[in-house]
Amino acid sequence: MNAPPDLVVDGRGLEPPEPMEKVLAALEELQPGQRVRFLIHRQPYPLYDILRRYRYHYETTVLPSGDFEILISGP
Amino acid sequence: MTPTAGLSLEQAPPFSVPLRFFLAAPWYLVLAALLLLWRGPDLFASRWLPATLALTHLLTLGFMAQVMLGALLQMLPVVVGVVVPQPRVIAVLIHVPLNMGTLMLAFAFLTSSPDGFQIAFFLLGLAFAVALTAFHLALWRAPVASGTVIAMRCALAALLVTVGLGLLLDGFFGWGWRVSVVIVTDIHAVWGLVGWAVLLVAGVAYQVVPMFHITPPYSPRFVRLFALTMLVLLAGWSLGLWLGWAAGISFFTLGLAAGIAAFALNTLYLLTQRRRKIGDATLNYWRVSMVSLLAAAIIGISMRLMDSLTQAPQVDGLLGLLMIVGFSIGVINGMLYKIVPFLAWFHLQAELLGRAKVPNMKQLLPDVRIQRQGWVYVMALLLLLVATVYPTVFAYPAALALGINGVWLGVNLAGVGQTYRRLLVSVPASARSSQAKSA
Repeated sequence: MNAPPDLVVDGRGLEPPEPMEKVLAALEELQPGQRVRFLIHRQPYPLYDILRRYRYHYETTVLPSGDFEILISGP
Repeated sequence: MTPTAGLSLEQAPPFSVPLRFFLAAPWYLVLAALLLLWRGPDLFASRWLPATLALTHLLTLGFMAQVMLGALLQMLPVVVGVVVPQPRVIAVLIHVPLNMGTLMLAFAFLTSSPDGFQIAFFLLGLAFAVALTAFHLALWRAPVASGTVIAMRCALAALLVTVGLGLLLDGFFGWGWRVSVVIVTDIHAVWGLVGWAVLLVAGVAYQVVPMFHITPPYSPRFVRLFALTMLVLLAGWSLGLWLGWAAGISFFTLGLAAGIAAFALNTLYLLTQRRRKIGDATLNYWRVSMVSLLAAAIIGISMRLMDSLTQAPQVDGLLGLLMIVGFSIGVINGMLYKIVPFLAWFHLQAELLGRAKVPNMKQLLPDVRIQRQGWVYVMALLLLLVATVYPTVFAYPAALALGINGVWLGVNLAGVGQTYRRLLVSVPASARSSQAKSA
């Protein structure tokens, strides 16, 4: 069976902590094997902390626009 | 870019550490309002009246210093990346004597009691000795000297001068020390309001204006130069005042006023460049604060250019109110509405993720409550400003508005604190992440 498509959360241009609220809500919906693709206009340090605390895996890429893309998969 | 660590769970102190400061502060606005109701229009006659000095210190120590010190305990580990050791103990050692000392100082002014001044000397001396030692140690060990770190170092240097001179003046009232009261009081007030308050707000603004309001960053050159330049101007101004060097005083006053105006205009400009155009409830607090700061700078410049203004006693009152109630209390009030719900939400999220539904920030403190209190705050500020010119008509309405404003802010913040505690208690300890982590 193929993994379900990534859940995309676009937090660009939103006031904190709305982006983090959205991404944490998405993590609760996550199916096994599914990932969250999170777009944000600055490094979300507090989010990294929570992800580490709950043992999620994440990978950050800087996009050409200067925004950040964080791919998050389950613990 | 400032290479900050962001808010880090490992480094952030427990929520109770800053919260005790934040929840206490609004009630000093209420105390100040009660004092104004009690003494009435006479309070506006001169800034040298004992009751006016009591009122000033209820606002500067009870509200401003209280929140600023509490916020530094929260921010230093997060923004600067240095852990303040034993945060709970340090918080108590600052918070308890600061509050007792502020009340004692106000009491001493109102009763002209030398004993009161002596007790206040030791209490406030202890509170600030602990705070200054802890914060200076942390800031001088900061791994990266970002613009924020530089501004905070300058602000804390200014706080050291403010507190040192304040204690000296307290010694004058308490033990009859020989002090040139007028000059020392002016230097004490200007280092407190322009050095400590403006520079600390600037250091914080470099971080939070772009972050919370999604604006472009302050220009790196401004960030690098502003605080140090202001500190040099302050030193020159103080020296001019001490030596009675009139041309020097004028030059440095104009420099300080221009610096303040530059910071205010810069911030107001950035706030017009927001990436998201929908207004946020706390945005107006920044605007009122920066407009007040700009007005204070314009009055400061006008005073130097028109001698007749310097003679008018109302000008001192206007300047003081613009700097304290307009600039400082305005921006602090707005920041409290960002910090308190955010920290509550963040700590709840970290403890309860996936185990209980955590309300979002807007549910913890709805915008409409922030806006309504904001209108009362603006009303209080305007009435106080008008009362400096027409005290007999406006002193009592101003006192009422200030009091209602304080109660409203206090109730709004306490409500967030209560929701936080209720939610934590509602989830059994075994289900929280701190337990899950070690399982």
